[in-house]
Amino acid sequence: MEKYFQSSWHVPFGEFSLKFDPLSFIFLVAVIILILCAGIYAVGYMRPYASKRPVGLHIFFYLVLSLALIVIVLANNVILFLGAWEIMSVSAFFLVVFKDEESDVRRAGFLYLIASHCGTFLLIIMFFLMASNSGSMNFDIISHAPFPPVLAGVIFLLAIFGFGVKAGFIPLHIWLPHAHPAAPSHVSAVLSGVMIKMGIYGICRVLWMIGVLPDWCGYLLLIIGVLCGVMGVLYALGQHELKRLLAYHSIENIGIVALGLGVGLLGESHRMPFLAVLGFGGALLHVFNHAIFKGLLFLAAGAVIQKTHTGEMDRMGGMAKVMPLVSILFLIGALAICGLPLFNGFISEFIIYFGLFQGIFHLPLQGTFVCALGIIALALMGTLALACFSKVYGTVFLGEPRVPKGSQLGERISLWMCIPMIVLAGFCLWIGLFPRTAAGIAFLGGAFLSHADLLELPMDNIFSPLTCMIGGVVLFLALVLILTYLRVLFLKALPASVSETWRCGFSYVTPRMQYTSSSFARLILDFFKRILFYKRTFPQVKGFFPQSASMSSSVSDFFEEFLFKPVFGKLTNLSRKLDISRIRYTQMYLMYIFLYLIILLVWKLK
Amino acid sequence: MTSWVDVICITVVFLSLIILSNYRVAAMIRIFAIQSFVLGLLPFFLHAFCISNRDVILGVVTMVLKAVLVPSILFWAIRHVSMRSEVKPIIGLSASIILGAMIIAGAFWVSLSLKLPGKPASDLILPCSLSTVLLGFMIMVTRTRAVTQVLGYLIMENGIFLFAVSLFDVMPVLIEMGILLDIFVAVFIMAIVVNHINEEFEKNPASVTFSKMGETF
Amino acid sequence: MLIFSHWIIVFLLAPLFVGVIAKVKAFFAGKKGPSLFQPFFDLQRLFQKDSVYSRTTTWVFRAVPIICLAAVLLLALLVPLGPFKAPLQFTGDIFLAASILGLARFFMIIAALDTGYSFEGMGASREAFFSCLCEMILFMNFITLSLAQHSISLSSMIGGNLPLSWKLWGTVLILVVGSFFILILAENARIPIDDPDTHLELTMIHEVKILDHSGVDLGFLLYASAIKLFVFAGILIPIILPIEPVNKVMDMLIFLGGMLAVSIAVGIVESTTARLRLNRVNHLLLIAFALGFFGFVVKMWKG
Repeated sequence: MEKYFQSSWHVPFGEFSLKFDPLSFIFLVAVIILILCAGIYAVGYMRPYASKRPVGLHIFFYLVLSLALIVIVLANNVILFLGAWEIMSVSAFFLVVFKDEESDVRRAGFLYLIASHCGTFLLIIMFFLMASNSGSMNFDIISHAPFPPVLAGVIFLLAIFGFGVKAGFIPLHIWLPHAHPAAPSHVSAVLSGVMIKMGIYGICRVLWMIGVLPDWCGYLLLIIGVLCGVMGVLYALGQHELKRLLAYHSIENIGIVALGLGVGLLGESHRMPFLAVLGFGGALLHVFNHAIFKGLLFLAAGAVIQKTHTGEMDRMGGMAKVMPLVSILFLIGALAICGLPLFNGFISEFIIYFGLFQGIFHLPLQGTFVCALGIIALALMGTLALACFSKVYGTVFLGEPRVPKGSQLGERISLWMCIPMIVLAGFCLWIGLFPRTAAGIAFLGGAFLSHADLLELPMDNIFSPLTCMIGGVVLFLALVLILTYLRVLFLKALPASVSETWRCGFSYVTPRMQYTSSSFARLILDFFKRILFYKRTFPQVKGFFPQSASMSSSVSDFFEEFLFKPVFGKLTNLSRKLDISRIRYTQMYLMYIFLYLIILLVWKLK
Repeated sequence: MTSWVDVICITVVFLSLIILSNYRVAAMIRIFAIQSFVLGLLPFFLHAFCISNRDVILGVVTMVLKAVLVPSILFWAIRHVSMRSEVKPIIGLSASIILGAMIIAGAFWVSLSLKLPGKPASDLILPCSLSTVLLGFMIMVTRTRAVTQVLGYLIMENGIFLFAVSLFDVMPVLIEMGILLDIFVAVFIMAIVVNHINEEFEKNPASVTFSKMGETF
Repeated sequence: MLIFSHWIIVFLLAPLFVGVIAKVKAFFAGKKGPSLFQPFFDLQRLFQKDSVYSRTTTWVFRAVPIICLAAVLLLALLVPLGPFKAPLQFTGDIFLAASILGLARFFMIIAALDTGYSFEGMGASREAFFSCLCEMILFMNFITLSLAQHSISLSSMIGGNLPLSWKLWGTVLILVVGSFFILILAENARIPIDDPDTHLELTMIHEVKILDHSGVDLGFLLYASAIKLFVFAGILIPIILPIEPVNKVMDMLIFLGGMLAVSIAVGIVESTTARLRLNRVNHLLLIAFALGFFGFVVKMWKG
């Protein structure tokens, strides 16, 4: 399964060494599919901008990003990996700031760039620790050297924080909900679908290199998964902007992946290879699935936004009648992301559930407890995601338009934009109904990660339930067909008339009386208001003929508002104070360099 | 093996959880009465085949005192204080329930490493009594009304009673009786004190906020 | 063949189950009450009526009754009904059950939003909220049962050697049964949570979502909710009555007796308690969750 490509590259410690193994295969396929689909979509999506903006430059950076992503998943050398990592970060920055005249977009871009570099800083330390342990920059050689447990723990923590910034682990996620909505939709799809997965890829690669970790690492990852998943989906529910909502959902899905990885780690540290393969395999399959359906959702959201010229869900409605095809494609993506049967999200969530239940049966007491917590959290995430996407679909695509009908007629959605979405939806359906191939490859990746031999494991224990599950789903489809036929038979004899919605006798009704996305989510957000800092402001209505009034509701991101803003505010103040030492003469700087050189020389003398 | 002692233990803990999640003082007192009644049944099941006089005395006294007398004093107190019937918890009821569930889990966790001198009638007695004590404590911490404070204290005592019963053969019945009497007197005094606070504030209508303070400690 | 016998049972007995509950409620109200077969007559009447569709609605609205009915029919196949073993049982079928119900719920919610009016939206919003808590309760109980039975197949979780389990950890099962009973009331929109008898009220959850459905569609939806109640009760009965199979007739009698007991219990709860204020419902559901969690903790304690 492992193939190498070596080439000379004159960089200190660097070698142009590419390696192809099951782990990189899964990520590579996800990258290529999504890059191609989003690229084709961009042809249609960028057309309105063609004469107004430097589209050529945008495409250039898109291609650079694609190349960097491919090199990252194939790199077999620290320097090559870090180089590609930086190219990815920087080119993604240029893609995000496409609409650079808007200050929000610029701010989002810089936030992303700073966060990304903070992460890279930790990664450099981590890779140096690993390299000093084994004496080489080559991933293969690093993986052969044994790691002492303390060092392994330190490296694991550095990886969680360093790669976690890119993956969007809570509380390191704060750049993510800003950067994704700011970018054009095909870029958001790539960012959310594959770029944040590079963080997961990095963690997987490090896990593979370290080998067996102490079991607290598994618990830590499980807890991170629970936190990310639940908080991500709750923040998503509180959003009013479509793409921001989808961005928060990426955090939720990263949480699900982290749950899977945590189960895998626990299996590895407790010497249960089947559990390890289940956890890692489920996580890897979910990575792939998320790339597919999140890509689909971002592309469909882009089409809607191009049509309505707004991302505010409370100003949409009734889009299913305007764009029927996109509405169905979005529905497929929504069902897939909620982990509902027929589509691919169901399969990977089932495998992770299955792994967690195996963990409950076979792990010691605290393992049972944490796995039970994981199951409850996964169930909660599933229903909250269901609430969130039924809210999105119901308010954006169904009902009556909330703004006058004329304003919804934006550009026509071209075929260039539809075909990639259809392809992605096809993948969702394919994995959902014929999961054997994809799950098999994911388990291969899982076995590779946990250094287990797939042939010795009772893989039938998971494949046969999977087959039965699909049987059940097919039976469900058959039932739907039979019942449809029955309904047609019933209705044939009876007249069906078309009228207004029954409004309980109330006759002066406007579309603005519909439930909006904010009012739909209110009950859930109210329940969690202590942790979400959910606020609603509404004026008092006075008199018999009140003036027009407005109400608003908002959810504030705890980690952004109360963790990073104060800390960075303090840091800024501190650097202002240090500003006194800055002197505006060039000669002074030269003197600093001179002094530094002397210090280095003296240090060498010793 | 499942025994009636087990069932009584989990019922006691569950009823404390219900009290924690309730928002009406009257309902809380009523559930407390049920809890005490269930607890009073416990001595009858401790020694399955030979119910001694001590068991009967302890059970009957507990029931009469805690399931009848104490609740009626509390009812008398809330009737005379003319307080609003809803409690004002410091943390929300939903959060209380979740926290209560976590406290139960924590109590079980701690009990894993606690050893009793003798072998109790059921292995659930220790963790359940600990959970009840902690839940009672939580009610005292998170509820602001005078009566609910007393209720929390009584629930704590119920937890201690559950624990004491498991050491029943070691502990003289006199001590348990003394404790029961203490509680009775404490509740009685509380009822009088609450009443007097209220009267004081009614005589001196300084401000609305003051009269509201009378309902809290 | 087993599949069809299952479906015949649920088609015949589910409306009867609803009829028994109505009868019990009528008894407590001191009334004679409608015939036990009234739900059948209602359904028959609905199947003969013509339908009215709103101009606002799309295909989603028309598809929902079919999806709901298909989902509960599939759910019925996962549950053993008396002497008839579950035709569909495999490791992990609980996820199929939960996610098929989730699928039906998703379509139910978006169909409510499809009508474009605030009543249905209100119901949809409430359904979305309470189902979050219900799902947590469901999985909490599944975890405890699966730990007790060491299996994650619904049939063996609620069947198998449960009689032995009652001896070993009866306390755990008491807690699970209590938690599950509240779940049944919540999932099927019964009284402490929702009132199945009133329409058009601002307080409703389930009824207000299907306000705009008529004729055959409404018939499908009512049938689906009756079957859902029946199937949920069917999950509860093997936990409460862990009697080892003797012969088919006895099994059927035990099953029917259990069903009768559950329907009477539901009827009594409905007649003796008032519907909770909406902002108290989540407390009840959380208590059910805490019960289930307590059961899990006790199970872990007992080993």
